[in-house]
Amino acid sequence: MNSLIKFENVSLNFGGVNALTEVSFEVPDNSLFAIIGPNGAGKTSIFNCVSGIYRPTTGVVKIFDEDISNIKPDAIANLGVSRTFQNIELFENMTTLDNILIGAHRHIDYGSVSGLIFSKKTRREEEKARQIAEDIIDFLEIEEYRYSYILSLPYGIQKRIELGRALAMKPKILLLDEPAAGMNNEETEDIARFILDIHEELEITVVLIDHDMNMVMDIATEVIVMDFGKKLFDGDPKEAAKDSSVIEAYLGVSD
Amino acid sequence: MRRRPDLYISYRDETAILKNNTHRVIALIIASALLILGYVADDYWILLLSASIFLTIATWGLNIVSGMAGQISLAHGFFVAVGTYTAAVVGGFSTEFPNKIIGYELDMIIWLPLAGIVAAGVGLIIAPLAVRLKGLNLALVSIGIVYIGSYILSNLKTVTGGAGLGRKTAGYTILGVNFKDGLEIGSLIFTKNQVLYYIGLLVALLLGIGVKNLLRSKIGRAYAAIRDRDIAAEAIGINLARFKASAFALSSFYAGVAGALMFSTIGAVDVERFGLLFSVTFIAIVVIGGVGTVMGPIFGSIFFGLMPGIIKFVIDHSEFIRDSIPLNAAQIERVIFGLFIVGFLMFEPRGLWGVWFRLRNYFKAWPFSY
Repeated sequence: MNSLIKFENVSLNFGGVNALTEVSFEVPDNSLFAIIGPNGAGKTSIFNCVSGIYRPTTGVVKIFDEDISNIKPDAIANLGVSRTFQNIELFENMTTLDNILIGAHRHIDYGSVSGLIFSKKTRREEEKARQIAEDIIDFLEIEEYRYSYILSLPYGIQKRIELGRALAMKPKILLLDEPAAGMNNEETEDIARFILDIHEELEITVVLIDHDMNMVMDIATEVIVMDFGKKLFDGDPKEAAKDSSVIEAYLGVSD
Repeated sequence: MRRRPDLYISYRDETAILKNNTHRVIALIIASALLILGYVADDYWILLLSASIFLTIATWGLNIVSGMAGQISLAHGFFVAVGTYTAAVVGGFSTEFPNKIIGYELDMIIWLPLAGIVAAGVGLIIAPLAVRLKGLNLALVSIGIVYIGSYILSNLKTVTGGAGLGRKTAGYTILGVNFKDGLEIGSLIFTKNQVLYYIGLLVALLLGIGVKNLLRSKIGRAYAAIRDRDIAAEAIGINLARFKASAFALSSFYAGVAGALMFSTIGAVDVERFGLLFSVTFIAIVVIGGVGTVMGPIFGSIFFGLMPGIIKFVIDHSEFIRDSIPLNAAQIERVIFGLFIVGFLMFEPRGLWGVWFRLRNYFKAWPFSY
């Protein structure tokens, strides 16, 4: 098993709009896979197909060689797929710590009644979850925001906390939807460094959507370029920059 | 370390319910005050206090499903009714006249938990609706449940006695001791209502700890995640169907236990009590008390439970109010209650809990502003 995610001729239609047309690609194990393309190219639709929020109209999406057509989003997440969202989807009325603890949900093992009486097992599992959370807080260097409510934190930190929540799931595949959107150069560099650490130290396969071409070219091991729901290019990031169809999609061509 | 009560050196201390000695002392003072109050207060106030306690338990239940998990339910009163009638059937007497009504005369130790469990079961049956619907749609469907529920209840004449007639509630036997005519322990003599008050306090203590436990556990966090962003919750691996079902079951358990006790002070209950207004009362108490907290329902229920007593006290003692307001006590109560709902939603959406929270923080930081 070399490919963790496999798209086989996936099309996705909303009424008359073709969000994805016959898209096929494979995300190899232990890669840092980037998806780039102009606005509305279908990048986020690919993520939504992977996490089960959208179902492909035709074609098959496989994760770990398993067809996910009939698997619910929460079960897909429990296969080891975690994601962040383009617009931050943190739980704003909770603290950083609680958000990350929610991320660790699938590693905490006790039922509702056990939670009600807070049994010994509950206590032990909660302490284990806290350990997971603290490791991530440490990893992402957000110690000082541990007890801060999300609403009160700056945008860049919120992005980082959302990354932390996704990491708390201890995923095998991490989907990052525009982690550097709206950030200044310094923050982008921070995020790039964290993504590299996640990929190399934690050995998580990362799939990344971004507009920041410099960052993508620097860190990605493989890239696909999307335009109007179609795949234009698949391969080495350095070559993508030279590819004529990619240049056409990004810059347009003169007549 | 000893002088820094807010410095925690273990995760366990940080998530404890009573975090430091101040908390423990306050809890002890409140507990002893409530115990003494039950003995010294006269029967009228005991009734009001008991009503507050039972309302608190029921409202905690609504707070689990609506405040914590965000599933607006207007059917809470129906689950209270299920608890009331389960208790009445299991613990009450059977009669042949004027209607045949069944009752198995079992001990309170059986009918009290059973009322909760049966209500939780009914909650589980209704939970799939919440999986399909959310927000306003769910609220509207839950109104339907109230109507269907009162139809079923008024036609189950062997259980409820039928509309307008009613039936007796569960009997007053606990652990083989009947306290219908009071209870004598050593030199202390307790009336029936005092015993019910103390039983209510004990049950409320246990169930209150339960709510607090939920809030600090993975279950409470999952509920909050579903409430705030259900798509993100699903992407994290939280099974929406399972947790919505557990929220409904737990909420109904609380409702059932409260329902079993709620009418035992009066001794009889009629199906007409369980209309839509009854369910809405709980929503109002949650709003006035404070959504999503443990203390909120306590504040709201005490406010709602004791208000008739306070109004009666004021009317009895002030000729001016008696002469200048052309309303009777029940009408004044309703007006004040309505004003409070509007007022809190506009000025303090966090309810009485929010007021308390601000006061507490003010005095914590006093004399500094923050």
